[in-house]
Amino acid sequence: MSAQPSHVASSAPSSGGERPFLKRTVIVSHQPGRVVLQRFSEEIELEGAAAQLFSKMEGQLDGKSSIEDIGARLQEKPARLRALLGQLAKAGVVSLLSPADDSTLTTGMEFYAIHKERCLYWLEEVYRHPLWQKMVSGTASRAQVLGFAFEKYHYIEAAFEHMGIAAANASPEMMPHLARHFIEEYTHGDIYRRGLRSLFPDDVILHSQPLPSTRALVNYLNESAQRGSFAYYAGNELLQMTENTGDADAGKSVDDFYAAMRKHYPYTDKLIDSFIAHTKADQALGHADAFLLMCQSVPPLTRREVNDALNVAKNMAEHLLLFMDGIDTFYGRFGTVPRLPCDLKSE
Amino acid sequence: MNISQRQFRAKRVYEVTPRDGRRELRLSDRIVELGEQEFDWYQKVRSWLPSVRGLADLSHDLAMDEGKVPKFLDALENSGLLYRTDAAQQPMSGIEFHQKFSAVLGSWLSEAFEHPFWERMMSGKGSARLFTGWLIELYHYTKNANRHMPLSCAHSHEKPIKQLRAKHYAEEWNHYHYFMKSLKALGFTEPQIADSVPLPMTLALSNFMRQAARQDILAYSICSAVLEGTTTDRGTYSPYYQRSADLYGVPQEAVTPIFAHLDLDVKYQHSDLFKDILETVPVMSPERASLVLDYGHQLVEHIWLWTDNIEKYYQVESNMVPRRPFDVVLD
Repeated sequence: MSAQPSHVASSAPSSGGERPFLKRTVIVSHQPGRVVLQRFSEEIELEGAAAQLFSKMEGQLDGKSSIEDIGARLQEKPARLRALLGQLAKAGVVSLLSPADDSTLTTGMEFYAIHKERCLYWLEEVYRHPLWQKMVSGTASRAQVLGFAFEKYHYIEAAFEHMGIAAANASPEMMPHLARHFIEEYTHGDIYRRGLRSLFPDDVILHSQPLPSTRALVNYLNESAQRGSFAYYAGNELLQMTENTGDADAGKSVDDFYAAMRKHYPYTDKLIDSFIAHTKADQALGHADAFLLMCQSVPPLTRREVNDALNVAKNMAEHLLLFMDGIDTFYGRFGTVPRLPCDLKSE
Repeated sequence: MNISQRQFRAKRVYEVTPRDGRRELRLSDRIVELGEQEFDWYQKVRSWLPSVRGLADLSHDLAMDEGKVPKFLDALENSGLLYRTDAAQQPMSGIEFHQKFSAVLGSWLSEAFEHPFWERMMSGKGSARLFTGWLIELYHYTKNANRHMPLSCAHSHEKPIKQLRAKHYAEEWNHYHYFMKSLKALGFTEPQIADSVPLPMTLALSNFMRQAARQDILAYSICSAVLEGTTTDRGTYSPYYQRSADLYGVPQEAVTPIFAHLDLDVKYQHSDLFKDILETVPVMSPERASLVLDYGHQLVEHIWLWTDNIEKYYQVESNMVPRRPFDVVLD
């Protein structure tokens, strides 16, 4: 199950006034004789006496009372409660809060594991976005398909902005990683531009304008990059996780997607070539390992730093969903592609 | 005649309405009527203009003799649907630019607020939940003025503009309290709202304003003017708030602070600020004027997608209201 910062993962909670808290992300379903606790993509099933005891104490798991106080209130032995709560804490559905929470440090590698687990969950909604299915089934409009290519170009081209800002504002331990990433990525927009040039003149591509939703994603990256190196990269890593298709299953879905695009939209042939060229370029650079290396070198993180970085990653997932939604909705409604900026006569 | 698509661009069409077998295309300054076939040809010209395809391809698409195509393009230009990009443009004064802006603002605002959300809310097909969501996001948007207004002062270089921008900030910085008051009347506590997380498009609005502030103070100011344009006319927005209150059982105490805020904006005459700023600008190059205008229109598109984002999130009953930040221990 999930990696947790050391203090939460502890399976044998001490009696030092810990206050059990049922995590806010847990969905509890009561069924005859059993209780199911669902959190992210995991499910934990309690049966018999454990289910009964959990149901009895569920309302008390608000992080305000100690195990001893709950025991007294429910007329249960604290040791019995502690045994079940210890298991639930180990499974990651309950936290045993203590005053030490704020001072507990999380190592970079612990963070890496938590980040990966959460990001995979947060990305699920992005992968479920209806635009993918529309493109695979051939029901997406020409504007949506070309819009997708243009918005991807704008997003990749924006490496100049956010990776530049990140490198320029890097903390000492992050600087080599961020410098390397910028230097490896800044030419990648040109890979997409080559594909677009099969359909549009170069100056039209260069002057075309991203959707507000794409601008939102780029600006969020820019702002994060300016504010803090590690949190920025935790967010950027979520985006990288959608690009690096090193494993066979993910690679096959991407191949299937491109094959469907070529079949339904023959005019995208050169665009698809550029998408594939970009994926290969990313894989050849080994970006999949970049975040792991950063986490290995980062000093231990406070709870505040962990939360900051995870919130940036979560917001990034929401911005990525917005990016997809903007393409689907905007190009679905306003079919002009490419989008050119206003001038004094256009209005 | 030697003609290339690079000589022309399409003007923005704000609305296309079918009428009696014809189409009415609304531009900012006129309505152009086209028959069905002419409309089909016009659309083909529009997609051909920014492409790499040649005149022969267009002629084929239109099933029109190649020699006749330039005449058709001229006709579209004369109707106002196309304009020439090769004609030289002159520098203009700040005041002349303001006239240009004022001429398109109405069309821009109608574009920003043509999202179906508004009709849904006004027709009774909305909900108190959607009204609350809109209010929460307005709270964040207003509070986030503190992320971009002072930045615009920092990036102003001319004393009169610095002064005007700073005065605007001083008058606006704490207006989020009005929305907090409304939200408290709806039963939320102050920490619930203050610690909540805005939607990505709400954050995007203030990030875009920050981008504008860094790029050009006039680009920032036009965005600010578009936003002020959404609130200066009390007659435009009062019906939305009052009708929502009536339709969805929103208590009057939740609406009163919003009206107080709108009235305050009118009192400060913030809608005149852009003109005051432009009066201090003796000359704008065509390139700068185009850039500034473009920022204004991008802001219009931001408002449309902002509304879309609000509707899509808050209409889902299982989504959290307000949105709280993730915590590694509590979540």
